[in-house]
Amino acid sequence: MSLNSPAADRITAALLFALGAGMTWGGFAMDRLEVRQIHPGSIPGLVPMILGVALMGCAVLLYVGARANPREDAEPGASWGSLGIAAAWSVTYAVAMVGNIPFVIATAIYIAAFVWWFTRPSAGEGGAVRRAVIAVGFGAVVAVAISVLFRYGFLVRLP
Amino acid sequence: MEGLAGLGTALLAFMTPVMLMHVAWATLLGIFVGSLPGLTATMGVALLTTLTYTMERDTAILVLICMYVGAIYGGSRSAILLNIPGTPASAATALDGYPLARQGKAGYAMALATAGSAFGTLVGIVLLVLLAPPLADVALSFGSFEYFWLAVFGIVISGQLTGGAHPLKGYIAGILGLGVAMIGSDGIHAHIRFSFDLQPLNGGIGLIPAMVGAFGFAEVLTVMWRRRAEMVEGRAGGDRVLPKLVDLWRYKFTAVRSGVIGTLVGIIPGVGEDIGAWASYAMARRFSRERAMFGKGSQEGLTAAETGNSAVVPGALIPALTLAVPGSAPAAVLIAALFLHGIRPGPMIMIEQPDFIYSVAAMLVMATIAIAVFGLSLTRVFVQVLRIPREFLMPVVFTLCVIGPYALTQRLFDVWVMVAFGMIGFVLRQMNYPMAPLVLGIILGDLLDKSLRRGLTLSDGDLSPFFTRPVSAAFCVMVVAVIMFSVPAVRRGLGRLVGRSEADA
Repeated sequence: MSLNSPAADRITAALLFALGAGMTWGGFAMDRLEVRQIHPGSIPGLVPMILGVALMGCAVLLYVGARANPREDAEPGASWGSLGIAAAWSVTYAVAMVGNIPFVIATAIYIAAFVWWFTRPSAGEGGAVRRAVIAVGFGAVVAVAISVLFRYGFLVRLP
Repeated sequence: MEGLAGLGTALLAFMTPVMLMHVAWATLLGIFVGSLPGLTATMGVALLTTLTYTMERDTAILVLICMYVGAIYGGSRSAILLNIPGTPASAATALDGYPLARQGKAGYAMALATAGSAFGTLVGIVLLVLLAPPLADVALSFGSFEYFWLAVFGIVISGQLTGGAHPLKGYIAGILGLGVAMIGSDGIHAHIRFSFDLQPLNGGIGLIPAMVGAFGFAEVLTVMWRRRAEMVEGRAGGDRVLPKLVDLWRYKFTAVRSGVIGTLVGIIPGVGEDIGAWASYAMARRFSRERAMFGKGSQEGLTAAETGNSAVVPGALIPALTLAVPGSAPAAVLIAALFLHGIRPGPMIMIEQPDFIYSVAAMLVMATIAIAVFGLSLTRVFVQVLRIPREFLMPVVFTLCVIGPYALTQRLFDVWVMVAFGMIGFVLRQMNYPMAPLVLGIILGDLLDKSLRRGLTLSDGDLSPFFTRPVSAAFCVMVVAVIMFSVPAVRRGLGRLVGRSEADA
């Protein structure tokens, strides 16, 4: 299923409706701070309630419109495989590696593996070692450069 | 006259070797960022904000403005050579720039784009100096009722204009942005909303991590998802790189008109450079004698698009400085940067820091001179920059996306926010949801929330001041008109009406 299709719009509409309902309920159930004797027009849940209702209204319109408007296909030549690997590896780096292992090492591993993997199709069979050396060298140099810049240039205590 | 004198004084103050060096590197970096597909002006300004927080105030703002101007201009490079706009602002540039490049006139097209960009920014600067002070004066009379409608108008007009064929998606993006702004401590009673007992959420979602995610990580994913771009081979950058003065003179009306249109588009909240370029391009095509050439390598079309998108930059700063309402996504980041450096944008700026607007105009002038110098002298260097493989560039960009937001607050939570916004931003973008209203919603959420509740408190729950005060009523009518115009049946009816009256005439 394409992300830019009536089916995707219908699913999104359902999710947005649920989100709108959640915001409305959250705003309605929010503390009205009566104990602080605030004006009823300034209760903290007022705007979330309005936004929730507006989001539900838009979701209904999106659902209705999705049936009437067939859309174009996804972008030609797009690679879902590359996207999946880039996204998974990048999220792994940002969420799991940074903070758990020293930043400079995490960054060097991330960049080297990224370059190594994505330069794979363009290299010939005989270039495997050269490709690995380039990836590791590039990763190490960039990781050290960024770490030094932030640690000593901007005085940031790196994660 | 007073404004121009203020501009002159500010320019003199910036003419120091250190400041000139900052102008040079930041503009050059901006052009690189803008010219590389996948790196946008918003992302560049957001990432650089994280690097400038230790700098002195004026230096930091100067660097960010040079990045902004340089990146918007730099987008024309890849639009002309790759047929892929380096930034969304250059989409209209590609229509005529790429055909010119295929005709062997890549260098000349880039030179024309340089001249157009520089001229457009200058037109915008003049209007900034002339319009910002009186606008700030008018805004001083705004109360909670007017600010509420201003915020609503910003979201609605941004959703309408950036949503293209799907204004509903623009509105949804705006509401989602407003929803994000509801997270954390509210601006009146400091009550914590929607934090789900997560302590880091008490302060709300930071704008910079959200922007770096939505414009940085999402862009990295988009670049890795797309097929590789093909550069125009052969004589790219090998021909004439100085535009003939006679060509520039031939398109003088187009350039002035595009500059004014771009600036006016910039003033409209949350609309941005791409719409400025398209509006200027469409108007130039309408009045052109060589209309048939548009889309096939028209020099006039290229001039209009580049003048239009660059003029948006000063235009977008007009509401950003005087109302704290950004005219574009990069201007939204600039507002955040201004707050970081102790400047409070809004109507009080002409009272608290009356010279600051002229300082910003002077910074824009210096950035414009820099893009003219670099654009005309380093054409061949920029062609080489476009050859950097994405496989090497993207992991470096993502590393900066991770460490940038972390550097501001030293919280890993902001890195997770960046990642979440990147994933959501990528999906929304593929589904044709514009990002500008989302960003504007995050910025304006607090203003809308506080203004509505404060207004209701002042009027003791009476809604009538929201509709009867003159400026409020005018905003309300505009909001209703914009929403009605996005209804297809109303649009078709208006189209028939206009067609009939033209036929009658």
